[in-house]
Amino acid sequence: MTVSGLDSSRAALAAEARSAAWLSTMVQRLIAGLVILLAWELVVRGFAPAYVARPTGILMAMPKALSNPALWHAAAATLAAVAQGLAIAILLGTAIGLAIGRSSIADRMLRHYVNGFYAVPMIVILPLLTLWLGYTGAARLATIVFAALFAIIVNVADGARSVPREYVEVARAFRSQRLRMLFEVVLPASTPYFLAGLRLAAGRALIGAIVAEFFTAIAGLGYFILYATRTFRHDEAFVAVILLTAFGLAFDALVGWGTRRFLPWYRRDEKAE
Amino acid sequence: MSIVERHAPFLLSLAAGIALWEIAGRSVNPVFLVPFSETLVRLWELAVSGHLVAQFVSSATLFVAGFALAFAVGMPLGLLLARVRVIRVALEPYITILYATPMVALIPFILSMMGFGFAPKVLVVFLFAVFPILYNTIEGARSIKPELVEVARSYRAGEWALWREVMLPYTLPFTMTGVRQAIGRGLVGMVAAEFFLNPTGLGQLIMVAGQNFDTGGVFAGILVIGLLGVALMRLGLIVERRFARWRD
Repeated sequence: MTVSGLDSSRAALAAEARSAAWLSTMVQRLIAGLVILLAWELVVRGFAPAYVARPTGILMAMPKALSNPALWHAAAATLAAVAQGLAIAILLGTAIGLAIGRSSIADRMLRHYVNGFYAVPMIVILPLLTLWLGYTGAARLATIVFAALFAIIVNVADGARSVPREYVEVARAFRSQRLRMLFEVVLPASTPYFLAGLRLAAGRALIGAIVAEFFTAIAGLGYFILYATRTFRHDEAFVAVILLTAFGLAFDALVGWGTRRFLPWYRRDEKAE
Repeated sequence: MSIVERHAPFLLSLAAGIALWEIAGRSVNPVFLVPFSETLVRLWELAVSGHLVAQFVSSATLFVAGFALAFAVGMPLGLLLARVRVIRVALEPYITILYATPMVALIPFILSMMGFGFAPKVLVVFLFAVFPILYNTIEGARSIKPELVEVARSYRAGEWALWREVMLPYTLPFTMTGVRQAIGRGLVGMVAAEFFLNPTGLGQLIMVAGQNFDTGGVFAGILVIGLLGVALMRLGLIVERRFARWRD
C-alpha cells in the first residue's frame, strides 16, 4: 500500500468516527427532546385544566393555526413594525454612536445619558408613550425604537472607539476628509461591534413590540397570543410563541452567517447585555 | 486632575439635560410633559404620602424573590449540566431555544393558568432571569481545562472536593457575568409582570398615573425605576469585576 493510500484510509476512518459521534449526539438530543415533550404532556394531562397547552394539542392545532390568515397578518404586522423600528434605531444609533466614539465632546455630553437609558427597562415608558401617541401603531413603533436604540449606540460607540490608531493615521496622512474617514474607515472597522449590537437590539425590539401590543391591543403577534389565551385557545397561542422564537433564532443565524461570510477576520464574542 | 475637574463634564451635561427638560416641560401641554421641577414636587408628594415607599418595597420584594430563585436554580443546574456531559449535550439545543424565546410572550399563559397573586409574578421574573445565569454557568464550567480535573483526580480528590475546589471557583466569574445580564432582564420581567399580571408596585404606580393623566406621577415613577435600573446595573458590574479579577 502506498503512503497516500494509507493516509486516505486513515482519513476515512476519522470521518467515520466523526459521523458516528455526530449520530450519537443527535440520538441523545432526540431522546432528550422526546422525554421533555412526554413529561410536559403527562404533567398537563394529569394536573392542569384541559385548555392548557400540551405538545399533542399544539401539534393538532398547528395545521389550523398555520393556515389561519389572521396569524400571518399578525406576524406581518409585528415584523413590519420591528423592521421599521430597527431601521430607525440603526440610522439614529449609528450616527450617535459614531459621534460618541470619535468626538470627546459628544462622549462627555452624552455618555451618561446613553448608559443610563441603556440600563432602564424600556417597557417602563409605555404608559408615557400611550399618553403621547394614543393606543396606536405609533406607540408600538416608538417602543421598538427606544428598546433597540441604546444597544446600537453603545456597541457602535465601542467599535468606533476601538478602531486601530494606524488606520486613522494613514487616512489622515492621505489628507482624508473628516466625514469621509468616518464613513470609509471608522464605520467599516467597527462593523463587528455594530452586528453584535444589532443582535441584541433585534431581540429587544421584538420584546418591545410584543409588550406594546399587550398594552395597546393593536394587531400583531403579541395581541394574537393575548387574545387566544383569553379565549382559552392556548394551543393556538403557543403556535404563535413558536413562530416568535423561530423569528428570533432565524435572525440570529442570519447575522451570525453574515459575520462569518463577510467579516471572517473578526469574530467577537457576543457582547453581554 | 481634581475631583471637580473630572466630574465637571458630567455635571455640566446633567445640568444641560435638566434645563432642557424644564424648558420643554414649560412650553407644552402639561398632559404631555411636565417640567423637571414639577416631577420632583410630585415625587416628593408621593414619597411623603408613603405610597412611593410601599410600592417600591412591593417591587423590590418581587424582584428579589424571582432573582434569588433564578440564581438558586440556574447556578447548581448549570454546574450539574456541565459536569455530566451526556445530559449537557442532550439538553444544549433546548436551552438555547429557551434562551432565545421572548419570555414576555408567555405572560398571557401564566396569567390564564395561575391568575392573580404573587407566585405568577415571581415566575415571570424567574423566567426572565434564569437563562442568562444557566447559560453562562454552563459556558464557564465547559471551559474548565481537563488538566485541572485530571490533577485533582490524581490527588484523589473526591467528587465533592472536585466541585468545591475546582468547578465552583473556576465557574463563578462566568456565573457572575450571567448574574449581571440577569439583573437587567429580571428588571424588565418585574415591570412586565406588574403591568400585565395583577398590577402592583412601581409598575402599578406608573400605569395608574398614566390612566389618570397624572403625567407628573408617570415621570416620577419612571425616574425611580430608571435610577433603580442604573443602580442595579452598577451593582452588577461591581459584582462581576470583583469575581472576574482572577479569571484571566
